[in-house]
Amino acid sequence: MSAVYFLTLRQLSGRWRIVVMTVLAALPVVIAVLMLRSSSAPSVREFETVVLSGMLAGSIAPLVVLAIAGAAFANELEDRTLANLTLSPLPRWEIVVPKLLAAITIAGPFIAVSALLTSHVAFLGDLRATIAVTVSALVGVALYASMFVWLGLVTTQAIGIGLLYIVLWEGFFAGFVAGARMLSIRHYAIALMHGLDGRRFAAGSHMSLVLAIVVAVVVFGGFLMLSIRRLRRMDVP
Amino acid sequence: MSTAAPAIRVDGVSRWFGSVVAVSEISFDVMPGITGLLGPNGAGKTTLLRMMTGLAATSSGTVTVLGQPVRDNPPLYRRLGVMSEHETVYGFMTGRQFVRMMGKLRGVADLEPAVDRAISLVDLADAQHRPMDTYSRGMRQRMRLAATLVHDPEILILDEPLNGADPRQRVHFQHLLRKLAAEGRTIVLSSHILEEVEQLADTVLLIVNGKLAASGGFRAIRAALNQRPYHVRVMCDAPRRLASAVLALDSVDAVHVDPDGAIVVLSRNVLDLQIELPRLAQSAAISLRRVEPLDDSLESVFGYLVES
Repeated sequence: MSAVYFLTLRQLSGRWRIVVMTVLAALPVVIAVLMLRSSSAPSVREFETVVLSGMLAGSIAPLVVLAIAGAAFANELEDRTLANLTLSPLPRWEIVVPKLLAAITIAGPFIAVSALLTSHVAFLGDLRATIAVTVSALVGVALYASMFVWLGLVTTQAIGIGLLYIVLWEGFFAGFVAGARMLSIRHYAIALMHGLDGRRFAAGSHMSLVLAIVVAVVVFGGFLMLSIRRLRRMDVP
Repeated sequence: MSTAAPAIRVDGVSRWFGSVVAVSEISFDVMPGITGLLGPNGAGKTTLLRMMTGLAATSSGTVTVLGQPVRDNPPLYRRLGVMSEHETVYGFMTGRQFVRMMGKLRGVADLEPAVDRAISLVDLADAQHRPMDTYSRGMRQRMRLAATLVHDPEILILDEPLNGADPRQRVHFQHLLRKLAAEGRTIVLSSHILEEVEQLADTVLLIVNGKLAASGGFRAIRAALNQRPYHVRVMCDAPRRLASAVLALDSVDAVHVDPDGAIVVLSRNVLDLQIELPRLAQSAAISLRRVEPLDDSLESVFGYLVES
């Protein structure tokens, strides 16, 4: 398993990806600083809606994870090296799980640091709020990674379809259609944040903490199982 | 006839992609030794090999390797070594790192000695610490073969393994495969080059248009090839005189004169024709300007074998 993990780490840590991820991860921090310095400082509710939910959980995190997790299998399918792994006697989960973990290992720190700095600046060092934002961002990374790893296995257009999903579903429908929030990773992460720091984020919660945790586990496990199933049944080029 | 169980059994296998039939109702057994899968480009060799390795599903029929279904059977890969036709490698790895990783993935217990052995088998010890993106095409192929051999598999399936190899590397590769076969392994290799398979394979499976056109020893197939009629186009300064003269040769079946003045000779014994035609021209004081086979392409050779 470690061989697949370290191989994937090396494959996914290309220079351009690191640069793009760094720029994207820095955006919420910069926006938070600018908002706080403006003459009309936003309320917690406004800050959550614009920066934490809209930008970090709804755009930056999925984009960063898409660039990483979407390529975990897609690159190997494209350059036809996936057979090196699938022609090994490893059970298929021992290929999928390390690839997913490698994607989370690379994308996670960028989003975690971004969430930590953003919330630290915005909430003036409030430890509980900072932890709530950072943990929920990391959970969001894991959920998006699980979904995009699967997407990279089922289509060669993972990046394009992933972008459409981020813009249309997470950005548009889940923001305006109440029912769509039940199927939105962004809203699972936000619900988790609300549950971890109800004191600061209580208003406007759409989902209980318990339900958010259950749904997060189901989504993560579901896409993981779908990826394993796909790898067992697909034709490998 | 051998009663031993076949190492690989392909039973009524077909594969289609939409309305395109890539492989159609193919059945054969593969026994230990070297089996050559021969056919022109696009004949279905790679699709067939991918089904034999479990990389692709069959549309119908079954493939068993060592008595077990090969599809969705990862433990079987401990006993199977596969080298695909794709030459992409992890360019950021050294050759040794690549072979070591493949050994680790295949559960090799005593890894470093196995890596040493595999790399020395392909004679690349000197280059093993260089990144693979600095290798020539032939070196990459050899290091990929080392990675295929690192877990000492009983069965080797090699898709166009000699691609990119220079003549010296080809000879080395052929010696190595013969040695591995002599140790009792089953080796299946594909090629679109007749001579390549002729030099190596004990048994030949000829695939044309997704069908098994012929199978058996290479001698039988070569004999069929030697009886194949050839059309040879001859340009000379006295075509009508040469046409009537060559009809007397035993190696010539028919002759006709083209409107452009060339004569086209039909021969079933082209080896004799090569000797007799210049002699005849010399004795008749006819100058030969050009002699060329009209249907010497591989596709026409395979086509003939299918028709016959």
